[in-house]
Amino acid sequence: MDPTRLKEYLPFLIPLIIAQLALGITALVHVLRHPRYRFGNRVMWALVVMLIQFIGPAVYFVFGRGEE
Amino acid sequence: MGILEVNRLYKSFGSHEVLKGLDMDVPEHSIFGFVGQNGAGKTTTMKIILGLLKPDSGSVTVCGEKVTYGETRTNRFIGFLPDVPEFYGYMRPLEYLKLCGEITGIEKNRIRSRSEELLELVGLKNEKKRIGGFSRGMKQRLGIAQALLNEPKILICDEPTSALDPVGRKEILDILLAAKGKTTILFSTHILSDVERICDHIAVLHGGRLALCGTLSEIKERHRYNGFVLEFGNEETASMFYDIEELKHPSVNMSRDGNTVTVLTGDRGMGGNFLLDVLSRRRIVPLKFTVLEPTLESLFMEVVR
Amino acid sequence: MNGYAAFLKKEMYEFAKTYRLIIMLALSAVFGIANPLVAKLTPEILESLMTDGIVITIPEPTVYDSWQQFFKNATQMGLIVMVILFSGVMSTELTKGTLINLLTKGLSRAAVILSKYTCMVLVWTASIVLSFGLTYGYTLYLFPGEEASNLLFSVFCLWLFGLFLQAVILLSAVITKTGYGCLLITGAAAAACMIADIIPAAHRYNPVSLAADNMALITGAAEPSSLCYAILVSCMFSVIFVLLSLSVFRKKQL
Repeated sequence: MDPTRLKEYLPFLIPLIIAQLALGITALVHVLRHPRYRFGNRVMWALVVMLIQFIGPAVYFVFGRGEE
Repeated sequence: MGILEVNRLYKSFGSHEVLKGLDMDVPEHSIFGFVGQNGAGKTTTMKIILGLLKPDSGSVTVCGEKVTYGETRTNRFIGFLPDVPEFYGYMRPLEYLKLCGEITGIEKNRIRSRSEELLELVGLKNEKKRIGGFSRGMKQRLGIAQALLNEPKILICDEPTSALDPVGRKEILDILLAAKGKTTILFSTHILSDVERICDHIAVLHGGRLALCGTLSEIKERHRYNGFVLEFGNEETASMFYDIEELKHPSVNMSRDGNTVTVLTGDRGMGGNFLLDVLSRRRIVPLKFTVLEPTLESLFMEVVR
Repeated sequence: MNGYAAFLKKEMYEFAKTYRLIIMLALSAVFGIANPLVAKLTPEILESLMTDGIVITIPEPTVYDSWQQFFKNATQMGLIVMVILFSGVMSTELTKGTLINLLTKGLSRAAVILSKYTCMVLVWTASIVLSFGLTYGYTLYLFPGEEASNLLFSVFCLWLFGLFLQAVILLSAVITKTGYGCLLITGAAAAACMIADIIPAAHRYNPVSLAADNMALITGAAEPSSLCYAILVSCMFSVIFVLLSLSVFRKKQL
């Protein structure tokens, strides 16, 4: 894809990246501040949350998050 | 007429009959100890009073209004503390009390001031943590605070002290004592020393109905068997007393252990005066003459046996 | 009605505090943005994948491709995520016993059910509005000058199907005590609707049509009036399921 095409899609990419970052960072902060999980460990969840886009944080909050 | 009346309550789970015609009458402004073994049906009774369980037959009246299963109208008179109170872990104590206040329909400013007052009473005033991080004892104390929020006519506590360590138990009992006078307290337990510490009325649930009911002093009076312990200066005198002819009677039960003789008499006519008479006639002076007081534990064991 | 308002507020607060709200909204936003983009880029991606020898002419993407993406994602991912997020709506309260405190405070059981349903409906509505708004805006930007017919009506049908599904979730959550049970029954109900759709005569009345005929509506292959029975049936069953939940929950021993 040439640079001019990329520029054309910036209005899409910026919000998407912002959304991904917002979700990922919220989840990462939660992973680091709450050391108990329903399964798995801190390193695993930190990787899942940061590397798997969108689905990673969603899976963490629904299934992995331990009781407070 | 009591503030809470339970009439001929029957309830069974499957083939297991838990309540068999329970009658109970809780007078206003009492601390009512509801005692029974584990599984005697204490929690079941309370849940029926709260309209959470459906009785097979019988009725419950709270402040003159009949309790209907599945409805919650009569609960506006009641504050309830479950045996293990559960809260929303993501809330802070003040937020939880605010939710409770809104549900009961207390005015906004009133909720705030009342919540702070109660958190002070239960010693959670400076607790900013989320409830999820609370210990058992802290949850129990918050439980009392939420139960007292709507200034209930009756406070019902289901085994509030069973799961706690001695310090936590004393704290809870002190809080309950502090609430006395403002409200009637019905509190179930199997720890008899707790009952003796704070209750004025007591009911023992056994075999699906009340085996014993009344004020603590009344019950002790009613069940006072004539028991006496006499201690003598030496074994000789003790055995002399032990062998007295007048005391050889079917209703008198004597046992001797060294210098002391224990006398249990079933006949009211052969009570303390009679013994003193016998002693003075024989010119025996005991070192000690003690009347046996029935303990709650001995009463409980007697009833439950 | 004190209880209803207070409990609804608590439900919304809980949904936000347990991070389910942010997941729902973030996914809606992401799909909303991605739908038109994927539609626009699909031909180019296919082209770059193609080896030299084969030439397939790929039609220029249109506004319909964008809405196709929208309805595909909303009916698949959107509904599934919603069902999973809401499957614990009763079970956590019932198994933990958090509800007992509030019921003994005079909260009516009906208020519990109704505010839980209201909360679900509000979250679903917000998600659909967000996702639809974003897809609409970006579609205008990428495919200027093109119009789709019956668009709002088609989205309304999808929204209504969501409400129907939520009534099913509510009822199964009240009947079973566990979140998995709720998932199972809801899944079974959805599967039953889809199987029933095999019978051509049933299609007119089947709620599932509301989430299946969206593209046909937009392209003009189906008339809005063809769905009026399905709408009626969905509304009716939603109301019936909520009423059933009320009566089942009223008689539940806690």
